[in-house]
Amino acid sequence: MSRPPFRGLLAGCLLALVATAQDEGIPSPVPAVPVPPVAVQNPFQPFDRARFEAACKQLGATPEQIAAFGKRIDEVGLARAADDLVRAAVPEFDAAVKKHEGGDPQAALDLTKVLAATQDPLLQAHVRYHLARLFLDCDDPENAIAALNDYLEKNLNRSPLDGEAAYFYAQALAEIPAPDLALPRFRAFLQWFPDASERFRSAAHQRIGEIERQQESRLHNLADGMKKTTRDLKKKRTGKPTQLDQETYVEELQALIEEFQEKENQGGGKASGTSPSGNPATESALPEGDGTVGNLEKRPSLADRWGDMKDAEREKIRAEVNKGLPPQYQKMLEEYYKKLGKAQK
Amino acid sequence: MLKFLQERVNKTTKELDAKPAEVREAEAGKVEADAVATKQGRVTDLMRRLAEKLGKENETEGGR
Repeated sequence: MSRPPFRGLLAGCLLALVATAQDEGIPSPVPAVPVPPVAVQNPFQPFDRARFEAACKQLGATPEQIAAFGKRIDEVGLARAADDLVRAAVPEFDAAVKKHEGGDPQAALDLTKVLAATQDPLLQAHVRYHLARLFLDCDDPENAIAALNDYLEKNLNRSPLDGEAAYFYAQALAEIPAPDLALPRFRAFLQWFPDASERFRSAAHQRIGEIERQQESRLHNLADGMKKTTRDLKKKRTGKPTQLDQETYVEELQALIEEFQEKENQGGGKASGTSPSGNPATESALPEGDGTVGNLEKRPSLADRWGDMKDAEREKIRAEVNKGLPPQYQKMLEEYYKKLGKAQK
Repeated sequence: MLKFLQERVNKTTKELDAKPAEVREAEAGKVEADAVATKQGRVTDLMRRLAEKLGKENETEGGR
């Protein structure tokens, strides 16, 4: 999965909407992967069903499968029905997704193999979408962003999964946490996908509310920065940038302590920096509903399953990662399996 | 307490970073790096809990 800066796509109408840095001197977490600016104009085109069905036919979908797709739209929603059709047309992709659904650690490798072997942009879109979901399930938002960067750059306007890809892009940024970057993308999702599943739209509204409340709280901002630093340290980034962030936390904590003491001495209430934070939730709770691909809930079992595997099975997967895959995918999977190993400890 | 804990994590991070690359890359170095990340994670959790607790208190007071 390449991680070049976002380019090419609607370059003429893209304008940086880089959110202003938060005040109070707390470093706003920035993902280690490039995050393209939010497009001012909607880059998503209405779903072209005829084009999609023709692309599925190219992938090997039978007329019966395409007819079944049409019937399933009302039942399970457009995105899910479309994903089912692509899965039906490409059995190895279907098998890889089933492994993910079953919590099999080999799913990442199998999905990447399908991705590496195809030049078809529709299949690439669906594989990248599922890879991003898999990374998000394993608390790896940076690899999810990388997968979705490629989706948005190379596979846009091919599949009705576009809306969900846009939602999960914002979600991955929120999980970094990079609230300044996530917020405009959640808003763009709501604006550009008015017909998206109510489940996703409700979740986006909820996340916007949470982020806005948390941004008003210096303490939540501090916790956001620390979360990013924790992720940096997990990746052995102990250099000056990380140390500077850490020093800022101490300075900010000292400032908060002094503010509290001053308020107490004056017999007043709490320091203003802590309020109003409302009652923010730490995790997004997605409402029940239909019309989505896969399960929106986190499945923490992948790391456990990785730990439960025999050494020989883990070695087999590692060996496959190290042979035959393009270097960018190899690096991505090495990071992923390393992380699974750590999470299981 | 949070400030003290963060200072300790900062100190450990600096000490680890000052070690030669071959020491950091060795297994013991990796274990040490994981330990620092875990400690930073604990401080983060405490920070988040404090933020939530104070947020709830503010909300309760605001509702009175």
